[in-house]
Amino acid sequence: MIKRTPYLLLALLVMACSSIDCPVDATVTTQYQIKNSDGTAWTLTDTMTVVSTRKDGVEVKLLDSVLYNKGINISEFSLPISYSHPEDVLVFQFDNSDNNLHVTDTLWIKKYDYPHFESVDCNTTYFHTITDVKYTSNYIDSIVIKNTSVTYDSKTVHFYLYPKSND
Amino acid sequence: MTLKRFISTSILRATISLVVLSGALPTQAQKFFSFQKDSVPMFRGFAVSFDLVGAGLMAFSDNGQYEGALRINLHDEWFPIIEAGLGKANHNDDVTKIHYSTSAPYFKIGIDKNLLKDKHGANRLYGGLRYAFTSYKVDISRPDFPDPVWLWDTGYGIKDAQCNFHWIEAVVGVDAKIYGPLHLGWSLRYKRRISHKEGEFEKTWYVPGFGIYGDTRLGGTFNVIIDI
Repeated sequence: MIKRTPYLLLALLVMACSSIDCPVDATVTTQYQIKNSDGTAWTLTDTMTVVSTRKDGVEVKLLDSVLYNKGINISEFSLPISYSHPEDVLVFQFDNSDNNLHVTDTLWIKKYDYPHFESVDCNTTYFHTITDVKYTSNYIDSIVIKNTSVTYDSKTVHFYLYPKSND
Repeated sequence: MTLKRFISTSILRATISLVVLSGALPTQAQKFFSFQKDSVPMFRGFAVSFDLVGAGLMAFSDNGQYEGALRINLHDEWFPIIEAGLGKANHNDDVTKIHYSTSAPYFKIGIDKNLLKDKHGANRLYGGLRYAFTSYKVDISRPDFPDPVWLWDTGYGIKDAQCNFHWIEAVVGVDAKIYGPLHLGWSLRYKRRISHKEGEFEKTWYVPGFGIYGDTRLGGTFNVIIDI
């Protein structure tokens, strides 16, 4: 038995080789669903764009440009959330050339950010707890927080957005 | 069914089977836990040991542990054992720039059984179990980096986060008498976490005494043992 010790130790070393096991879908975003006033799903007929202002003053579009350019009717969408800024300010622009609609609403999302750790091999990220939301009401009737916890889970809906225009 | 779930289910079924079997066959169970009847006294002394694998890891890598043990010899058959150590990690990742550090003691308590027929011989083959526990603090940080959308500088730091970790180990090992009270031995260990608590960041990397979690459930020791 003692003579076999080096071979067994070698086998142990081979079995002990490390592996990197980072999450495949490691993006943290907020999920929105558009709702009718009676709570049923609603699809916007107007074009929606969401912008925010970067640190360097440049306005950046947040909503996936494919949805915008192709005019696909939107019933749900996802938006990025800042890593560690206490409040995100998002400007929603609603346009419709048929009726010359051009309306904007501003959304302020307050949140608590906390670092999330997987492994030293994986990129750092933040998870969030949404603490408050405020908004203007030009096009939007109301926004309700459905879930406060923002993590890797891309199936959790965080906000219900109720537009005025669907009445 | 995933492989991990399959293995977990298999272990659970095996455990339940063993419990049911031990209840149904008390005579065999009694025989397993009994001592051979001979003229050798029950108490055969103590042995202390020191693990060279953990010390080697400590010397040649950025994580490892110093571990010692005190073992009681009961009739050369049963060996209650207490293991204690100091586990450390101080890792800087070149790719992700993450710095991870921890240093804490850990403790294991368990028992080994000499599986050889010749219980009183110079060499032993052990099978055993351990319950292990550590309470530790971790520091995780990386240099500031820009938010990918808004470009604000973002810091990332976890300081003195209090964690604890409980696990069990199944042990197979050998012990060979070299000269006088000096023995050398090694053990192979299968480790399984049974409970843990981290902060809101949810996971840790190196756990003192357990090693790098998620890497492998196998571990090993190479011990210098002295009878006292």
